[in-house]
Amino acid sequence: MEFFIAQVLNGLSLGSIYVLLVTGFNLMLLVAKIIQFAYPQFVVISMYATWAVLRATNNVILAILVTIVVSIFLNLLSEPIFRRITSIKGTDINATFVASIGLSMVLVEIMSHSLNQGFPISFSDNWVGGSVFRYGIINISRSSIFAWVGGIIVVVAFFYLLYRTMVGRLFRAIAENRHVAKLFGIPIFKTSIMSYLIAGLLGGFIALLLSMLIGTASPWLGESVALKVLAVSIVAGLGNLKGGLFVGLALGVVESVAIGYVAGSWSNVIAFVIMLIVILAKPKGLFGAAVE
Amino acid sequence: MSSTLMYFLGFSMTYILMAWSIYLPYRVKHLHFLAVATMAVTSYMGGILSVNFGWSFLPTLLLSIVIGALISYLISHTIGNAPTFTVVIVGITFVFIIKTAIENTDYLGGTIGLFGIPVLDHPLIILFAFLLVIGYFLYRIDHSRIGRAASVIFTDENLAKSMGIKPKQIGMLFQTISGGIAGSAGVFYAFFVGSLFPDFFTFHLIGTLMTILFIGGYTTMWGVIPAALILRGVPMILPSSIASWRLLIYGVLLVAIIATKPKGLITKKMLWELLKKRSGS
Repeated sequence: MEFFIAQVLNGLSLGSIYVLLVTGFNLMLLVAKIIQFAYPQFVVISMYATWAVLRATNNVILAILVTIVVSIFLNLLSEPIFRRITSIKGTDINATFVASIGLSMVLVEIMSHSLNQGFPISFSDNWVGGSVFRYGIINISRSSIFAWVGGIIVVVAFFYLLYRTMVGRLFRAIAENRHVAKLFGIPIFKTSIMSYLIAGLLGGFIALLLSMLIGTASPWLGESVALKVLAVSIVAGLGNLKGGLFVGLALGVVESVAIGYVAGSWSNVIAFVIMLIVILAKPKGLFGAAVE
Repeated sequence: MSSTLMYFLGFSMTYILMAWSIYLPYRVKHLHFLAVATMAVTSYMGGILSVNFGWSFLPTLLLSIVIGALISYLISHTIGNAPTFTVVIVGITFVFIIKTAIENTDYLGGTIGLFGIPVLDHPLIILFAFLLVIGYFLYRIDHSRIGRAASVIFTDENLAKSMGIKPKQIGMLFQTISGGIAGSAGVFYAFFVGSLFPDFFTFHLIGTLMTILFIGGYTTMWGVIPAALILRGVPMILPSSIASWRLLIYGVLLVAIIATKPKGLITKKMLWELLKKRSGS
């Protein structure tokens, strides 16, 4: 039982990261109307930035700042590409998905050829942090607490922004109906830029939390994470923010428990098999899709 | 014929087959990456049947087409009219599961790979003949009532339904045919290369096929032919220092094409105008 509880706690940390990733992904889907498959790649590149700054200066504050700036910069840099694609008559959201796959391929190749000579990176023990609480085999690390607390704070802040502020109202209006929102004078371009900026900020936090939690990164990390984020988003219902919270946490727990009980790479498959069964049973998601 | 040219043509033709297997379901907006998982299944099935049971090429090919179509048919019951991204994630998830299953099964060679598959005597002639048959079959579908119905579904599914078209039936049919074509591509690949590695069936293969389809053009079946020859074939004859950046070049091209010519370089309209001009002159 102790082992199970330990794995569930680990799963909740991992699930918090998935929740944040899916939230950023859904934000861009709802407001900018794009499927940003490369979003997790931006997070991984930001992790590389954290690693590089820590290695060069060992300055934590600078590392945090640079990570967030890099993440925001990458997200904003992709905006003109997606704006161009969505502005072409006759294109739909599929085109943004295809372009983001292209973007993802470019980023993976750059990382695997140029960053750390393609080798995976490891963060120092100081950054990853040691144990804060131990009871038998239940071990709560500093990074787990950061993931839980960080996850809760960021999600609460995001939902506050979405439901209690003017910017959130604009986001929801565009998500509901872009054309009507435009007729009401909502600045689509500015609001869309804002969504990239917030997704970038969120991506920076995710990069910091993920680097602490798993303590390593590789050029191929983004691909598997992107697949999980898209799967979580579809299982929850494409663009369904609240559903994403539940399914993201559930994926983290299932994956962690599977890693604890199933040997080798089969553990990764279990979470995918469960998600596949859910998708096949309910192709439009458990909580209903906000975007068709 | 030099071995480089043989590999260039053989790989290009296999990729054309695979690109067609993704092209057809995309006629109804289904990015059917299950085709890649099907290719993995039938290539390993073909390899095992030939190495361990002494099956020859032809019965293996026929069985693979049936198995490939059957897998896709069974799954199409749930994703026959599913949204695009549901079809995408089902396909990619299957690729991931099949790859992991192969890596963890010693009987299939695990991560080391499966070797000793007998290579065909005249693979290019057989592959070319098969490509012509499949090409003619797809051409007939494209120019049939079903092909026209698919075009309406692509443009507006609600309009298609109001015209009495059944998107799920057409989606299921196209996914099943796609599975059959991918099944055949798997066996051709196994009997052309002679060895199989699970690392071949990854996200890179999906990315390459997407690049071929979207750069060549998804509105006509002809676009993937030059795209496969140029994108998959040319890197084989380039120096390795440049060829190792292949995926980066694919990615840049994919983004550039989607941002400038989202329907790809060769479109149905372009071919139609070319045909009209020629018949006029």
